[in-house]
Amino acid sequence: MIKKKYAIELQDVCINYSIMNNVSIRKNFLHKKERNEVFEAVRHVTFAVQEGDILGIIGKNGSGKSTLLKSIAGVFSPNSGTIDLKGHTVSLMSLGVGFKDLLSGRENIILSGMLLGFSEKEIEEKSQDIIDFAEIGEFIDRPVRTYSSGMYSKLAFSITAMLETDIMLVDEVLSVGDEQFRLKSLNKMKELINDRKRTVIIVSHSISTLRELCNQILWLHDGEIRRIGKPDEVLKQYAEYMAPEAKKIRQ
Amino acid sequence: MFFTSIAMFFIAPYTAWKVHSAMRQMERNDTERIKMTAVYFVILNAVTFAISTYRGIDMRRWNPFTTTVSFRIKYIACSTVLGVLISWLLCSFLNRGITAAEIKRYSARFLSDMKKYFPYAVRAAKADLKAEVTNSFLDWMWWLIEPFCMMLIYTVMFGVVFDAAEEYFPVFIFIGITMWNFFTRGVSGSVEIVRANRSIVTRIYLPKYILLFSKLMVNGFKMFVSFAVIAAMLVVFRVRITGSILCMVPLLLVLFLITFGVGSILMHYGVYVNDLSYITGILLTMMMYLTGTFYAVAKRIPAPFGPVLEKANPVAFLIAQMRNVVLYGQALDWKILLIWCTVSVLLIWVGVFTIYRNENSYVKVI
Repeated sequence: MIKKKYAIELQDVCINYSIMNNVSIRKNFLHKKERNEVFEAVRHVTFAVQEGDILGIIGKNGSGKSTLLKSIAGVFSPNSGTIDLKGHTVSLMSLGVGFKDLLSGRENIILSGMLLGFSEKEIEEKSQDIIDFAEIGEFIDRPVRTYSSGMYSKLAFSITAMLETDIMLVDEVLSVGDEQFRLKSLNKMKELINDRKRTVIIVSHSISTLRELCNQILWLHDGEIRRIGKPDEVLKQYAEYMAPEAKKIRQ
Repeated sequence: MFFTSIAMFFIAPYTAWKVHSAMRQMERNDTERIKMTAVYFVILNAVTFAISTYRGIDMRRWNPFTTTVSFRIKYIACSTVLGVLISWLLCSFLNRGITAAEIKRYSARFLSDMKKYFPYAVRAAKADLKAEVTNSFLDWMWWLIEPFCMMLIYTVMFGVVFDAAEEYFPVFIFIGITMWNFFTRGVSGSVEIVRANRSIVTRIYLPKYILLFSKLMVNGFKMFVSFAVIAAMLVVFRVRITGSILCMVPLLLVLFLITFGVGSILMHYGVYVNDLSYITGILLTMMMYLTGTFYAVAKRIPAPFGPVLEKANPVAFLIAQMRNVVLYGQALDWKILLIWCTVSVLLIWVGVFTIYRNENSYVKVI
């Protein structure tokens, strides 16, 4: 077996949030300083993803999944530990963000693309593909603030899916849009899986989606790795863990 | 009286300490607190003593218990202002321990980031301008109408009501308003800019000053439109144009740099301090009246203060120089322009470094 190269390597990554970081002048001068509380969102996470792999991240709400993804995308760097992307380009796809509200969809495609590190020419070549894939019709020339939430995420998905960065980070996007678009984006994701060069990390709560797409699953619990391994095993354990709580609610 | 004579030495160090602890935003133990306050006490009082001596008071025969009330007030005011400034500077540069290696690294990063993100900044500025046009009824006409109407209002108010006419008064005012608007929009916008762009900031990494840079380009374009109006006005009012009009290029460049410098520093504090926009609003209004958008600072304010105020306030200086070279065909004051150019580069440098050091946590705060 040929050993594949790693595309992403995380070494002992910790990410903290300081609560009470946002101050006003009155608070500062008139009150005794309240101690900044530190909340550890991600604690000592170490893993690596091979080139061409699809990693799914699963876990309860507030277990640090999105934080981890943002930090891999470079939105903020970890408080300690290292994230090595081996020089790959990376893009984060998440719900309803990343647009300037007053600008048209077309304009937003170009701006988002430029922020992802593409040149204006490259994007203009691809922009027709993006518009076709997003299938939002004449809305592409209207300001983004007039979009419905479905159109919003369709456009967001299309931009990241068509502008091909080496690493794609997907944050709960697959469950939006109408049934038809969902199938289309699932197919697109599968197409990307067959691409040997493309590395994908998906955050989702949907066990079935992850089982279908991923070849490795990471279970994050309270900011720490609970399990990492083959989808079947990890997802089964996760489902078993979640079952009693779901049962409680149903009763 | 006894109380005030003691207090006058301590108010300033106390304020300085407060600013210091507010800026550092971290817990300190008591010994360090006493040490820092002592350092401020010595520095501030020494500097204020030096200033008093320079202003002609014989400090050797001076007695704190018999001195006049007026001197006490001046002493407290002067040392407190110094205290705020010095503690702010100390916190910004020295105390955070910027090393030589860091300076080198950040400078290199600044250059490469500028190169990398410049096309984005230009494109974003263009897109913003376009959006502004398509979303308004009179589209780009507003860029002409707004400053033009302002000019009419000020001309009538100050030219007729207050009788403050200079030669070519409407053009005189128009230059002032145009340049002041560029500065004030840039600075007040910078405070909110990270929050305003949260959709971008939370999704992707970009050096945050690029947002400000792009916004300044938008404002800069509007300023150029206003300057086109000025050109037309020069013809209408039959102003004698000389070669020195070319000096407006360096003047505008320095205006851009100084706005970028001040903005990039404020932008950092705007992320953490929620109510900063109120303070900048008040300060900018105060500064507008000191900057002489509708009067000549050096002529109108009595002798020792007028010319000093004009040189000590970069925007006032730039506006006055612009009027001199465009309207009155006078030569440019290169020496002071060069000083302000250096200062603005330093400010940009401080702002960009502060942003690089802290931008990591911006997303977590907003």
